[in-house]
Amino acid sequence: MELLSTALLALFVVGYLVLAGSDVGLGMLVPHVARTPAERRRVVAAVAPYFLASEVWLVAALGVLAGLFPDLEHELVGALWPVLVALALGWLVRDAGLWFRSRVDDRRWRSLCDTALVAGSWTLAVCWGLVLTALVGDGLAPDPFTVLGTVTVVALFALRGAAFGAERLVGASEAESADAAARATRPLARTALAALAVTVLVGVGLGGPALVRPEVAAVLVGILAAALAATSGLTGPMLSRHTSALAIAVPGLVVALSVGTPCRPLPG
Amino acid sequence: MFDDPLVLARLQFALTAATHYVFVALTLGLAPYILGTQLVATLRGDRSRMVAVRFWGGLYLVNYGMGVLSGLVMELQLALNWSGLHETFGYTFAAPLAVETMTAFFVESTFLGLWIFGWDRMGRWAHLFCFSVVTATAYSSAWWVLVSNGFLRHPVGFAMVDGVAHLTDPVALVTNPAAVFAFLHVVSGAMLVGALVVAAASAHHLLRGDDPHGIFRRGMGFAAVTMTVMPMVVVSFGGAQFRIFGQDPPTSGLTYTAERIEAIEAAGPSAFVSAVNTAGELVMMTAWTVMFLLGPVMLLARYGGPLNPRRWFGNGRGSTATGADGPGSAPRVPSWFRPRRWGLALLLFSPFLPYLASVGGWVYRETNRQPWVVVHHLTTADAVTPLSPGAAVTSFTLFTVAFGVLACVTCWLLVRFARRGPEGGPLAEHWEEERSKDPDPVPTF
Repeated sequence: MELLSTALLALFVVGYLVLAGSDVGLGMLVPHVARTPAERRRVVAAVAPYFLASEVWLVAALGVLAGLFPDLEHELVGALWPVLVALALGWLVRDAGLWFRSRVDDRRWRSLCDTALVAGSWTLAVCWGLVLTALVGDGLAPDPFTVLGTVTVVALFALRGAAFGAERLVGASEAESADAAARATRPLARTALAALAVTVLVGVGLGGPALVRPEVAAVLVGILAAALAATSGLTGPMLSRHTSALAIAVPGLVVALSVGTPCRPLPG
Repeated sequence: MFDDPLVLARLQFALTAATHYVFVALTLGLAPYILGTQLVATLRGDRSRMVAVRFWGGLYLVNYGMGVLSGLVMELQLALNWSGLHETFGYTFAAPLAVETMTAFFVESTFLGLWIFGWDRMGRWAHLFCFSVVTATAYSSAWWVLVSNGFLRHPVGFAMVDGVAHLTDPVALVTNPAAVFAFLHVVSGAMLVGALVVAAASAHHLLRGDDPHGIFRRGMGFAAVTMTVMPMVVVSFGGAQFRIFGQDPPTSGLTYTAERIEAIEAAGPSAFVSAVNTAGELVMMTAWTVMFLLGPVMLLARYGGPLNPRRWFGNGRGSTATGADGPGSAPRVPSWFRPRRWGLALLLFSPFLPYLASVGGWVYRETNRQPWVVVHHLTTADAVTPLSPGAAVTSFTLFTVAFGVLACVTCWLLVRFARRGPEGGPLAEHWEEERSKDPDPVPTF
């Protein structure tokens, strides 16, 4: 029973990272891939059918967390309160931007909503970076490990968004954005790989985070590094659709499989 | 007073919940009207009623966005600021909320999406079915939220194991009388909100004599009937809740002994909380009384007296734009001296009444429970997350500002779309035409 509920929670969190990575990441890259109003409209139209469906996974994860793991929730809230507040605000601002964008036909209004989308997407990615790093390490601390881990996760979000954009923004007349997104996958994968390498070095150098199953974490980090290395190469843009999904799943899997989480067995 | 994290956390929750409720009540109040209109339109194949469905549906859509956004953030904030409540009553209080979020968010957004994007693409009965699911899930969310809220007032169906409440009787939890009566009270109150929003939008267009599809004439009729019937229903279910107010919950004694409970309650609510409680009750009763009197007046005016639109526009098409020299029924008096114009102008502001009543009533109900958050089990002071004053002030400011801005934007959009009428809403038909002319069609959102 406990295994089942843990697996359910892990499934929802990893599912959220893989799916929302696409639309959050693309939201982060709007200034880079969409320079004209028509391109921006296209990006928003590409994100719009997906963002609620991705958020459902997070809501489901929160539901499982609140209903089946109240202790864990309590622990998390205590340790990560400021980050979670920022995450909620980023979520609110981003969704408001997406929801209200086409309600008013005015250029300034749309650019305001686009700003909300970009700012909210960056806030979400940074907050998830902090949450995942804090869960792997021991809590929020202003040390190099937290900073580098966050940078890695943010790069993974952006990479996922670029891969999604390369696929979804292809159109008859406006292939410009899709190309820009596809070109971005390689530098983003390299950035993520470099940040990952330094994070692991710093983590090991500082004595290493207290993991319950370090061997599982090592295998997962190996998979992540391989996925990123494959994306950094010449065929990167072609592979990125699958490798970016694999890559962004890894931080969630590390937390689920190799970090000891405080929870009591479920009653009944 | 405002450097106390407990006060800030309570005030923040009160503001967030009141803002959220403003949009929820409109969702609950409009959904049955849209569903009924669409049912009649589908049965009769009536195009003008379908235009009405698009118009009210557009308002529903804008309003729903804010309802979901504020609801999600409110729930996160509940978990962040009230961790003591989640720690002890996670299985009994938070679980129904989690179910609510999933049904509201998942099923309701899915079917609302199908309803919007499936317009003219699916069969008319399938399309109607989509909205009936939207309505049913909207009401079921209200039910789950009030199951959680009723639990705070009248905790039932659990056993305490190592200081954590474990659910033992789910049936008792969902049939809690504190939840049942509150649900019926809130739902009937939301009908008043829906009716008066419909009345205000209709009044705006009737004042301009702009009602080619009969949308606003019918809207006024619906509002008049609802406003005559519903205030009695609201007050009956509201009164039924008083039966539970003085009772000790059946689980009393599981956490604290009777003496300890008495000691905690002896401190009593602070003078401020008592004042707020009285103010809430006064606002609720005053607004209710005005609405109670308003209903019959609207009904008489609508069907018998000067508000009867058949007298205003001889053939259904507006004539008031031309002033007092309109054909037939228009009386020869200056335009400012006509009771129906005054009546309609007053109705423009009538949606404030049910909102005031709802928020006042809610403040009254919730402050009445103090010093408890879960009656006889957990005090509000023990439920709040331990926060530094700085963190509490930051969180309060950020959330209050964000909610304030979003609420203002949503209200502005609602008023804007309501004033534009059936031709300008988010679901209006000419958007579809524009889209088909667009060489590079991108689904609007």
